[in-house]
Amino acid sequence: MAQLIQALVLGLLIGGVYALMASGLTLIFGVMHIINIAQGAFLIVVATFTWWLWRDTGIDPILASAVTAPLMFGLGWLLYRLVISRIRGQSPSMSVLLTFGIALVLEGILNVVAGNKFKSATPSYFADSFAVGPVHLPKTQVYGFLAAVVVLAGLYVVLTYTWTGRAIRAMSQNPSAAALVGVSPAGTAALAFALGSASAGVGGSILSVLYPFFPASHFDWISRLLGIVVLGGMGSLPGALVGALALGLAETLTATYASLRWSTLVFYLVIMVVLLLRPEGLFGARLREDGVAA
Amino acid sequence: MRAVTGANLLTMSGVTAGYGGGDVLQGVDLTCVEGTVTCIVGPNGAGKSTVLRVLSGLLRPRSGTVTMAGARTDRLPPDEILRLGVAQVPQSHALFPAMTVRENVLMGGYLIRRQRALLAERLDMIGARIPIVRERAHDAAGNLSGGQRRMVEIARCLMLDPKLILLDEPSLGLDPRSLAAVADVIRTLHESDTTVLLVEQNVRLGLGLATHGVVMEGGRVRLTGTAAEVGEHPEMAALYLGGAPGQTPGRDRPSARA
Amino acid sequence: MTSATGTPNQLRLLSRIPASHLAAGAAFLALALYPVVNPWNAYSQGVALLAFLLAIQASGWNIISGYAGYTSLGQSMFLGLGSYTVAIVGLHTGVNPFWLAPLGGVTAVVVAVLVGSVVLRTRGHAFVIITIALLLAAQIIATNFDALTNGSDGITLELPFWSSDYQNIPFYYAFLLLLVLAVLFSAWIRRTKFGTGLIAIREDEGKAAAIGVDTTRFKIAAYGASTFFAGVAGGVYAYFLTFLNPVGAFAILGSVMIVLSSLLGGRGTLYGPVVGAFIVQGLNEAATVYGGGTGSRVLLMGLALVAVVLFLPAGLLPTAQRLWRQRRPQTVEHTDQRGALATPSRADVIEARDRAELGDGEDRADVIAGDDVAVPLLELRGLTKRFGGILAVDNVDLTVRKGTITAIIGPNGSGKTTLFNLVTGTMAANAGEIRFAGRRIDGLPPWKRGHLGLGRTFQVTRLFREMSVLENVVAPLPDGRWRTMLADAVSGAEADRARELLDVVGMGRFAAQRAGSLSYGQQKLVELAQVLMLEPELMLLDEPAGGVNPSLLDRLKDVIREVNARGITFLVVEHNIPMVLDLCDPIVVFSRGRPIAEGPPAQIRSDPIVLDAYLGDDWRPTSSGSGGGPVPGGSVPDHELSTGRG
Repeated sequence: MAQLIQALVLGLLIGGVYALMASGLTLIFGVMHIINIAQGAFLIVVATFTWWLWRDTGIDPILASAVTAPLMFGLGWLLYRLVISRIRGQSPSMSVLLTFGIALVLEGILNVVAGNKFKSATPSYFADSFAVGPVHLPKTQVYGFLAAVVVLAGLYVVLTYTWTGRAIRAMSQNPSAAALVGVSPAGTAALAFALGSASAGVGGSILSVLYPFFPASHFDWISRLLGIVVLGGMGSLPGALVGALALGLAETLTATYASLRWSTLVFYLVIMVVLLLRPEGLFGARLREDGVAA
Repeated sequence: MRAVTGANLLTMSGVTAGYGGGDVLQGVDLTCVEGTVTCIVGPNGAGKSTVLRVLSGLLRPRSGTVTMAGARTDRLPPDEILRLGVAQVPQSHALFPAMTVRENVLMGGYLIRRQRALLAERLDMIGARIPIVRERAHDAAGNLSGGQRRMVEIARCLMLDPKLILLDEPSLGLDPRSLAAVADVIRTLHESDTTVLLVEQNVRLGLGLATHGVVMEGGRVRLTGTAAEVGEHPEMAALYLGGAPGQTPGRDRPSARA
Repeated sequence: MTSATGTPNQLRLLSRIPASHLAAGAAFLALALYPVVNPWNAYSQGVALLAFLLAIQASGWNIISGYAGYTSLGQSMFLGLGSYTVAIVGLHTGVNPFWLAPLGGVTAVVVAVLVGSVVLRTRGHAFVIITIALLLAAQIIATNFDALTNGSDGITLELPFWSSDYQNIPFYYAFLLLLVLAVLFSAWIRRTKFGTGLIAIREDEGKAAAIGVDTTRFKIAAYGASTFFAGVAGGVYAYFLTFLNPVGAFAILGSVMIVLSSLLGGRGTLYGPVVGAFIVQGLNEAATVYGGGTGSRVLLMGLALVAVVLFLPAGLLPTAQRLWRQRRPQTVEHTDQRGALATPSRADVIEARDRAELGDGEDRADVIAGDDVAVPLLELRGLTKRFGGILAVDNVDLTVRKGTITAIIGPNGSGKTTLFNLVTGTMAANAGEIRFAGRRIDGLPPWKRGHLGLGRTFQVTRLFREMSVLENVVAPLPDGRWRTMLADAVSGAEADRARELLDVVGMGRFAAQRAGSLSYGQQKLVELAQVLMLEPELMLLDEPAGGVNPSLLDRLKDVIREVNARGITFLVVEHNIPMVLDLCDPIVVFSRGRPIAEGPPAQIRSDPIVLDAYLGDDWRPTSSGSGGGPVPGGSVPDHELSTGRG
């Protein structure tokens, strides 16, 4: 029984972190209909940077997100303005290929700069756990979860109460109406991409503590994030949250009761099943033909 | 309130415009006097909606000029035209379905978003004029009926206190009660000296709301005048059903009208 | 044997083959002879055969991602699948991997078809995402399923049975042969209606469905077809490597190089992927020799991919072709100085009509000979459609009789376009049924309706702009048989029929021209011919007169009448009242989601209901002329058009 509770709680904890990582991906898709394959690479780049920062200055990796988030905001904004915006209006497959290429470039740079070995940030509390009754919760998971919750709450505040957030939501919901009230499509898209990158900033810092990583890990991560976003519905933030929690639970339960080795396969299985039964995901909009009213 | 000077707020001169293939507008000359409510009617394909698209900057004319509030607008992008004081309520799907009514209306003030006092003041004023803004403030716009949405759309475009409001088929898809509400709003707009230009499929409805009428057909303006003049014009039926001028099908019928 | 002019037939034949094929043939000869000329250079043979391997995969990728436009980012998985299949079977049976290679192809196709049938039933992003996930899942399965695959320890195969002096030569020829086969396969596909269907799916999937392309089946077939030769090559490759492990067999870099090759060379062309593969493999070699390890190769490929997407999205071959055409504008045969508005004589049209077969297929309802004017062809009963709070189509009963040109007119918002969409299958109704030739069709997808004999045109023409006019007209599939799908689209019966239909609509001389370059009215005529290819019983025309200038309008009416005279029923939704009054009988008038009048033109022309429907009768101006109001309560005219629906 204790094992079950432990698995459930752990599943939720990791689900929260997944939610943070997936939020950027789904936000970017919702606003500009681009699947950012490089989102996983963003995570690994930040993880590497955080690790290096921790190794050389001792700054706590999770707290380092205070630095990496604004850094990624700026870099994401630049990347959009300089590179990604050039293919606005072209077919969606082009954006997939472009972000795929960017992911590889980032991986290549990391390989050259940081080498190909597994890394993991191991701050002082790395091996400790909180004991809550019969359940043991690793401190890294708990801190990671808390950080994720804080940032997700912040994202919610930004999206709901700031004008930038409103513009972003307007563009996701009805681009032509947004243009009608004066929202600038290019500027808002850049900001949305920047926000998505910033959330990857925090996610990557947390990642550095929770999972060992090396440059090629980004494919593993983007696959998970894509699984989450497909399950929740592309473009839906509540969907990403629910999907992340569900998959976090599924993964942890599989690891506990079936086998650790097969636990990541759960993501891919879920993708297949969801696409079979409900292609638009839990909260996604049903893709319809060009239905002209009356 | 603004002083009605009787000047032309809007002038289109020799405008041709189209999409891809041919030109939909084949030389449109149109004026709107400040403070009036003008209704453009005409059969489908006449170019009514295209006129609105040209005016709001969504479609650039091939030739001709458009002058609004004293400035040349035919080469300006939509947000510049918005800043000049021209707001448009499109035919359909103009709201943000997952946002509340209040947020939708607030978005209308996007261009003045930094002037928070002004925003609050306008929101207040609009809430007084259009009840649904207050009554359903926190409901998601996607849950409203067609008529209610139309009211919110109109409310939204008032946030910038525009000089000219363009309405594209405001009656489309509305039941009679909502029609009455829309008519009321247009009347109050007129009373506060806002200039309104609307396009209407339903001729009698549209001319009933207006002070002046414009009949378009085949991409050109065929008739202009006061709403009454245009509404009673014998050519109307012919234009719609393609009969010869003078032939007015349906004219001789028992009239149940007062 | 020589022709009348004395030129040897062989030479004339040679001059008619396109330059690209001649160049490819020459290249093949050179490659085939290379090891004969230079047998001891194992290194260069090795580089070359790896280039062949990449080209095989890129050529396959091109079928699903080039022709059909569904980007696959994990295509190298099939190479790995082939390798593992052959290695495992070889281990257990002792048979030489060379002979087992085709099994690798089988595994690849089976997996592709299974996955495709789950994920290709919808449009959108599912496919791309799945292909990445699959590649990684394959790696995980290969690593963990040790009983079968020996996990990360990998599988070691037997060494090749020939001398190591000429170690690479058999592999060289094996891969070269597979490459030739793969390219021929791709060329064959492109020639068939399967190929035109795939391109139609890429250009406009909705329209493809409307012309009878069973998009799901086509996509699944394409995905399967894209993997066969890669799977077989995988089997040979395993033998070449003699050692397999999950990380190597399912590496992402392989997929990247496949994508890059096709993109660089020209996605959707025949030789582009091959040319691109040779370049990319060369790059890869250079990186390995001069650069560092995997890391630098990944960086290089990533940069190359970004550069190609940003600066050369069409690919090398199409760009070169475009520049070539700009410098040497060809005088195209069809450029007729009479120009766009050339009208064929009535005699031409009648002759073409007599030549063309506008008649029946096999899936059809039987035509009741003789009295078929009164037979209902399309019946709507209680059809209803709601959008949110709006009732767009309100419990409609309607019958379209065989042999008529029936029109539906009515103001904006009257529901006629929605009704149209319900009949064509673009939208699903909330209630009611639709019967076509007695059979219920309201659950069927658009292509199935097409196969049953329902054809439609679009308000804004949707031709496949990059295809030629002839290809556009050959593309439709009147039935769901495999034989039709694999029929030759370029020459033969299908193409002949398409040419005849083009003559019927008077567009015959534009057959070779790119559809995107036609005028609007011309596109409308081609779209008509396209729909006729479906052998329809009923043609649904969505605002056929919209945007057409008056001189072409007459020809359009003539064509419709000619086709109708051959027994095809029309249902036309139209705003151009004079045209409708001239052409159609009966005419149905819609208002507020329901039909309010039906009858011959003379009756409709003078019916007061019709005018009221257009001008609006439930609103009266007050005497001041501004700010009117609705008529309170009474004074509702006889014809029930206000809130109290009768």
